[in-house]
Amino acid sequence: MQSRAAHSWRWLFTNFLRREITARFAGAAGGLAWALVQPLVQLGVLAAVFGVILRVPDTALGGLRFAGFLAIALWPWFMFAEGLQRAVASIPGNANLIRKVAFPHELLILASVGASFVVHGVGWLVVLVALTAWGEPVNWLGLVLALPLLAAQFAFTVGVGACLAAVHVVLRDVEQALGLALMVIFYASPIVYPLGLVPEPFRSWMALNPLAYAVGRYRELLLGSGLRMLDLAMIAVCVAALLGGLWFFRRISPYFEDLL
Amino acid sequence: MSETLISLSGVGKDYPTLASGAGRVRTLLSLAAGAGIVNHLTALDGIDLEVRRGESLGLVGENGAGKSTLLKIIAGVVKPTRGVARVSGRVGALLELGSGFHPEYTGRENIALAAALAGMSREELKDRVDHIIGFADIGAHIDQPVKHYSSGMVVRLGFAIATALEPDVLITDEVLAVGDESFQRKCIGWMERYLSEGGTLLLCSHGMYHVQTLCQKAAWLQRGRLRAYGDSFSVTQDYLAYHEEKRRAESPFGDRTTYAGDYFAVRSVELLAPDGSPATEFAMDTTIDVRIEIYSPDDRPPVALVGLVRADGTPVYGTHSNEGDFVPRRIAPRRFAFGVRFPRCALIPGKFILRSHALAPEGLTLYDTVETPFTIRGATRDYGLVRLVHEWHAPNP
Repeated sequence: MQSRAAHSWRWLFTNFLRREITARFAGAAGGLAWALVQPLVQLGVLAAVFGVILRVPDTALGGLRFAGFLAIALWPWFMFAEGLQRAVASIPGNANLIRKVAFPHELLILASVGASFVVHGVGWLVVLVALTAWGEPVNWLGLVLALPLLAAQFAFTVGVGACLAAVHVVLRDVEQALGLALMVIFYASPIVYPLGLVPEPFRSWMALNPLAYAVGRYRELLLGSGLRMLDLAMIAVCVAALLGGLWFFRRISPYFEDLL
Repeated sequence: MSETLISLSGVGKDYPTLASGAGRVRTLLSLAAGAGIVNHLTALDGIDLEVRRGESLGLVGENGAGKSTLLKIIAGVVKPTRGVARVSGRVGALLELGSGFHPEYTGRENIALAAALAGMSREELKDRVDHIIGFADIGAHIDQPVKHYSSGMVVRLGFAIATALEPDVLITDEVLAVGDESFQRKCIGWMERYLSEGGTLLLCSHGMYHVQTLCQKAAWLQRGRLRAYGDSFSVTQDYLAYHEEKRRAESPFGDRTTYAGDYFAVRSVELLAPDGSPATEFAMDTTIDVRIEIYSPDDRPPVALVGLVRADGTPVYGTHSNEGDFVPRRIAPRRFAFGVRFPRCALIPGKFILRSHALAPEGLTLYDTVETPFTIRGATRDYGLVRLVHEWHAPNP
């Protein structure tokens, strides 16, 4: 890789990010609105099934209605899940660039995950505003406190995404397996149900899932609780995932051109 | 001595062979362990090269010789498996003309990402975007999605972005012939200006004429190794001679000098300097004497056809041994010698090829062709291929 000023990579990243955000909806009349509509429809379906038909008991929801309880966790989940899927697809998807232009390949991972966080971050804000208007007790100061955890979740997603993307270049099974794995993780995390409903010993095991922890904390923070010492542990785990993932990615990425 | 822009020492490149699923897992594990690639094909090995500022290099070689891989290593796209590749300065690669374009975006929107990929900063692009649009000259299409572009328009836009980069090293892979006639002229004009202003070109071409006229040095790659490296003219001559040799080996005539089969064949061609010694270089306005031996399977005197073309194939002149009352000399049974002399040959200095053809006595069927390259040396202020007899005069009123 030739030496190039950092600012020129930053500009390239900005370009990638902008493209990642808009490219999926380019040519669609609905444009970026789809980025909000898709999760909303999923929210509606899940809220209907688990809130109306199966009826998760209100007492376990910490004072939220089920749709609000679900919505607070659903958008961070989309940031994670879609970020991973985009990251894994980004390397083969940009094969023609990788084969012909020299640039740091991790920019593609950052842009994929970043686009997912930006799109669903905006969606999250819109939903939180809607929940407040609907009378849910959303504590907006909690959102500020949630930002470090959200940043940690971003780091975690980049790290895992980079690792999976690198493996995917050699073993094209990752994209297939990831879809399944995400479905399992979705139901293994307290998104559509409160952690309190899970019987032991599963509940203790689930605490090891950083995503389950993050989702639970977002709810607590938005309902007015403060930061905890354990949050530092989560941040540490996420930073470790970022560094490990990027280390592995950089091991493989010089060979992308050979393997694609 | 000008600054070294590219320096390769002992550069080699292996490509993995990924046939089976298990092989893929093994490759992944060995890469993760930092052990490199296990099963591989060697695409390049032991390449030592140096390119200084203002010194252009041509890469020649057969398909699959490793030319593109070498260009990619220099462009920084491919990491060499062995050896060290040092490249300083800004490298503009005309390998990816338009490859980074997103079909759903307009030309103008695509310029931004392509320029960022090429290493331009935001400020530089702001200054040059009008120049890019002007150079590409695709009119109102610039605000249309690229998917509606013709392939020519994509290439024009890609080339325009590359020119705006003002690279220290320009890498091109047979892209000089892009776009229509007027755009090609624009590209060549830009290239000539770039070279005259001290730009450095790395050209990968199968057209020896381009390598000879645009590059001082040439490198001949063969099966991933450097077979010859040096003055572009001598390297390309050797390369052409190698192909001639190969064609000869594959031709039905086998070894020409001893051919004795069923066809009319050119057994040998020799160019002689005025002193009678064989030569491949002649001063302008000296006499070139051509000696050709043709084999005649039925011992009837054959016909020779001699053509002169410039190195790029532009025909200059051709002549037929049927003219006048010329009869070749029979030097042995079935062997005939021809001589054709060009007194004070007025070819303009440059590189030319003499084509000798063997024909049956009826002069209708062309059986064999041999190409003999040669050079005319000298300094002249004339233009074109050949100096015509002329005189300047002040016309009477």
